[in-house]
Amino acid sequence: MREVVVVGAGLAGVRAAGELRARGFSGALTVVSDEVELPYDRPPLTKQVVSGTLTADDIRLAGAEDFGARWVRGTAAVGLDRERRRVRLADGVELPYDGLVLATGARARAWPGEVPAGVLTVRGLDDVRALRAAVDGGAREVVVVGAGFVGVELASSLVGLGLGVRVTLLEPFGRPLRALGGTVPDVVAAAARRAGVELRMGIGVRGFRAEGARVAGVESADGSVLPAEVAVVAIGMVPATGWLVGSGLALPGGRVHCDERLFARTAEVPGVAGALGEVGVTGAAGGIDPRIVVAGDVARCDAVRSADGPVALEHWSNAAAQGESAARNLLAGPAAAGSYAHVPSFWTSAFGLRIKSVGLPGTGDRVVVEEGEPGSEKLVEAHYRAGRLVGAVSVNLGKRLAGYARRLQEERGAAEAAGVSGGAPGRGSDEVPAWGGAAG
Amino acid sequence: MTVRISVDYGLCDGLGQCALVAPEVFALDDDEQLVVTPDPAPELAGKVAAAARACPVRAISVEGA
Ligand SMILES: Cc1cc2nc3c(=O)[nH]c(=O)nc-3n(C[C@H](O)[C@H](O)[C@H](O)COP(=O)(O)OP(=O)(O)OC[C@H]3O[C@@H](n4cnc5c(N)ncnc54)[C@H](O)[C@@H]3O)c2cc1C
Ligand code: SF4
Repeated sequence: MREVVVVGAGLAGVRAAGELRARGFSGALTVVSDEVELPYDRPPLTKQVVSGTLTADDIRLAGAEDFGARWVRGTAAVGLDRERRRVRLADGVELPYDGLVLATGARARAWPGEVPAGVLTVRGLDDVRALRAAVDGGAREVVVVGAGFVGVELASSLVGLGLGVRVTLLEPFGRPLRALGGTVPDVVAAAARRAGVELRMGIGVRGFRAEGARVAGVESADGSVLPAEVAVVAIGMVPATGWLVGSGLALPGGRVHCDERLFARTAEVPGVAGALGEVGVTGAAGGIDPRIVVAGDVARCDAVRSADGPVALEHWSNAAAQGESAARNLLAGPAAAGSYAHVPSFWTSAFGLRIKSVGLPGTGDRVVVEEGEPGSEKLVEAHYRAGRLVGAVSVNLGKRLAGYARRLQEERGAAEAAGVSGGAPGRGSDEVPAWGGAAG
Repeated sequence: MTVRISVDYGLCDGLGQCALVAPEVFALDDDEQLVVTPDPAPELAGKVAAAARACPVRAISVEGA
């Protein structure tokens, strides 16, 4: 392999670039990022960067100088021609490749419809700068729409600033961090209230009121209007795959579908597959492209699955581990590549709660508080499905999770040995929440 | 070769990602503080290096891995 192109310079792309070099790839390496910013880490954005305890410089990831890579910044990839093996950039340049790493991550899901100025989303450094600028400029009424981890962390950081910012957190689905399942969302809700956040749960949002061009309020589905000098829309993310439409890759739910080894799956187009020299035609999604691997938030990997099929992860550790595995497998080629075997793990922190999870909590049918008192701020909850452990969540008791991670690994090994498959592929967790209107 | 681990406790946030990767060497205590086993066996060098890479705040540095 002589020329590798990595598209996307977030955690997954940077780790892939580093691993390529660590594994002895000495050819030409090009990393493409549409951000002008040097690569950085996202988890601190909503925590320490909003709080002001870390700066942009503190959260930098390794970069071009570390890998002897050619770095293209501030230019988006806009097209992929797999037959000619070229990535097309927004400025018209075409980058040829022998190997390609797709790591374009995701964008914050935008509000469906026009929004006035002062309605923000948070995914990158610029977003956090804009939010801090508004607060530092005197904004005191902040409404956060969506109580996933980004919304919850922001609410916590903003009330923790000590500037007297009043934060209202709106969540049409009834509980913060509901993806965790079990009782932890209730613990989070109680802690948020105690910290002074106004919680409005089970109420959908209809839209935004403006005064002039700026936001003045958030209109909820029950007709009431909450005053807002700033509103943050934190309703999840959209994989950054628009540029891959028409490439012949399989894009279920907008994510790039990849096999167990992280090779990109191709959409089933009879005739095209043979022309591209694809191998291992399996199942409805067609074959794979042996020159393309996928990693991070943009990926939907067959190796990460619940009983309902492949699950897309939006976690730091997954992006890091997939970036490295994808690079190794690209160099090894499909025949020698190993299956991506990583127990998912996730953490978040807000309101003095350190919440960590392993596996896929929220995909179980039974939740058991195995340590600590239910509802307390120090507990471990195990999630089972059909009697099998599928995940665990800890609140301020992270020391127990390593044991659960080990059990999950053993269960997986046992399931594989017994030939138990995770269920039919094709159904993932790509559900789109029904924002707006009378959700409830 | 021996593996020398140093942890910057100023950075360490008790996230425990390292403990998930190399539980033989890293663990959290009751207060979610990191406890490191000194002088891990040389054959754990690879795991220790992987644990260092798994730390989101880059608190772990390793020599001899
Ligand atoms: C605010 C925030 C807080 C988080 N906190 C946590 C946490 O506490 N714990 C946790 O486990 N996870 C957390 N995460 C999730 C974690 O940060 C992500 O899983 C991780 O960043 C994914 O990395 P990635 O490289 O796949 O994608 P990204 O980080 O999205 O990087 C993709 C890069 O590709 C670029 N790009 C996109 N399209 C193109 C294109 N066409 N051409 C060129 N470049 C392109 C993007 O601009 C971006 O720079 C958080 C995420 C956010 C946003
Ligand atoms: S992963 Fe890093 S932050 Fe977490 S406990 Fe280990 S050293 Fe500390």
